[in-house]
Amino acid sequence: MAKVQELEIKNKYTGELIGTIPADTPETVNEKIKKVHKNQHLLKEMDFFERAQLLSKFATKLRFKKSQLKDLVVAEGGLPIKYSEWELNIVMNGFKFCDWYYQFLEEKPLTSIEGEQLVRIRYIPHGLAACISPRNTPISLPLYQLGANYLVGNGAIVKPSTACPLTMLEAYSIMEEMDLPALGALDLVIAPGEWAVDEFLKSPLVKTLMTITASHTAKDILVRYGRFLKKTVDKSMGFPMYTQPFKHFFFECAGNDAGIVMDDVNLEQVAKWNVTASYTNSGQQCFSMKRIIVHKDIYDQYIECLVKEMENLKYGDPTDPDTDIGPLGSRRILMMMEVMVADAKKFGAKIFTGAEKIDTGEDYGLFYKPTLVEIKPELCEDLTKAPFLWKEEAFGPVRSITKANDMKDAIRLANASNYGMRAVIYTSNLNNIEIFKNELEAANIYINARPMLVDITVSLGGIKDSAYPAGCKYYPQELVYGKYIYDGTPLNLEKIK
Amino acid sequence: MTEEELTSQIIDKKAYKTEIARNYTKFLSKYPEIFSDLINGSNFDFALYDSIETYDKESPVDIFNVYRNGNGIEIKPGRAVDSDLELALSLDAVKKLIQTKTKVDYAQLLGLFYDNPDEEKGWIDFVLHKRTQTLINMGYGKFAQTAGILKDDDDI
Repeated sequence: MAKVQELEIKNKYTGELIGTIPADTPETVNEKIKKVHKNQHLLKEMDFFERAQLLSKFATKLRFKKSQLKDLVVAEGGLPIKYSEWELNIVMNGFKFCDWYYQFLEEKPLTSIEGEQLVRIRYIPHGLAACISPRNTPISLPLYQLGANYLVGNGAIVKPSTACPLTMLEAYSIMEEMDLPALGALDLVIAPGEWAVDEFLKSPLVKTLMTITASHTAKDILVRYGRFLKKTVDKSMGFPMYTQPFKHFFFECAGNDAGIVMDDVNLEQVAKWNVTASYTNSGQQCFSMKRIIVHKDIYDQYIECLVKEMENLKYGDPTDPDTDIGPLGSRRILMMMEVMVADAKKFGAKIFTGAEKIDTGEDYGLFYKPTLVEIKPELCEDLTKAPFLWKEEAFGPVRSITKANDMKDAIRLANASNYGMRAVIYTSNLNNIEIFKNELEAANIYINARPMLVDITVSLGGIKDSAYPAGCKYYPQELVYGKYIYDGTPLNLEKIK
Repeated sequence: MTEEELTSQIIDKKAYKTEIARNYTKFLSKYPEIFSDLINGSNFDFALYDSIETYDKESPVDIFNVYRNGNGIEIKPGRAVDSDLELALSLDAVKKLIQTKTKVDYAQLLGLFYDNPDEEKGWIDFVLHKRTQTLINMGYGKFAQTAGILKDDDDI
């Protein structure tokens, strides 16, 4: 694959050129890996709280540049300015109070049956992490990847999306300006994922590969690593010995979150939240209410409320503070939305609103009107036969809605998915809440919660094809391993002297 | 104890270096209820800076601390002995804050200076001296919310 020397970054709404930046080559990527690896020890010269304090200071510097960063997020990411505020606030709060994560890393004593406390579990950083970030969040996720590694003491290389790397470059330059200690143990790589991931996989210095990507892409990375391992086989002992080590893979992938609306709630209020949960950032979010499951007794009435709210959404210029829906991140997303809607129509799906596009014919200024598509409940169970819109992640402003007979049926429909990132329920019935807590298959579940919370306790991760390894996740937790330490010295020192 | 019962006391009024710090302490003493979410024994600094550079150098033009006692608050000059955190404020921010007429307006403006810091118009920040979890347990999270610093907008 050709290795470009420069990247042109364009405004997602106007197409205007907003920056030309040098791109990495495989050689420079490997130089950066070596540099970060060499400097990694600098992080270990500080303890967790020193590093946390420095990240907290960095959060302050970010806040002072918020307006500039917001403009970049809007221009290169196409995110509406009101959403870019959320994007920045969530990362600034996370950094400001990052010592909160110590609770996941604190050394823990274990007590034996005899009451002895000879064992401790200590958490040790895995080592250099290579991180790949998605296009839809120009700053929050790549900066979390960088910051979480710094916090726990891992060197890190982050590859922001080549569609929107400028915000991260600006964030990194703020780190340089403040002379962040041990910055040599952090770096950015500007390169397309297609080949950059291979460099990360091949380097024995990279211990963790952390990616936020589509589930299929994540699986492809595993396949690539398998192929690479195969090439390293040594058969001199008569059986295959793989000379390259395991890597720690940490994948944050797609979501196809269910949202259940029962018949005992204020429909106007829930519809308002539903629209925010489903269409923020033009629905280009892994966590987003993508499959709406509504109790049959309020189904028609709820759709009326929902459509009314959806039609209030303003789409257009993302710099306009009133704009709710900005341009799509790529032509591929536009195409995917069209394909999903067309496929659903083949199943007899009803379109309540939307299904219209604005196509400039260029790679900017692309819109797809917020769309609501009915999928019949009988089509949802067998995923091999279900419409794409139900079974795959709609990473854009198209959402499916279906009807449930009761709570049991709603859970059945919600669980009819290969994904399990998040889910939400709106109900005032305490029994239903308990059923939801116990039976819903997702790593993060929300009950009667308003969407887009800016709260440090918000976790990531997922089950099924939404994340690997499975479970709700806080990044720092995933970047360390537990070391079992049995210290028999108090019992045996005299004996071994 | 209800909010109305909180008292305030300014200790050693003559010890402040600047007029603006004195005025700010007078202002805060009018609204001790702002501190009602903090547990007894909480103690933190208000540091006033004339520029970002002096903030970076940790060199405030004046500093005082607020101590939450059983009855209300005590405002004392200088740094607290074992400060929980430092609330840093630019002089421009303080000048505007002390002109607000109600505690709601004060909280709104404080929030604005935190959310949209501006070297010319005013800014605030805070530096934690204790662990976030400890400070949350002492009531600082709620305090920050009441004071307008931490907010989670109902709608984005």
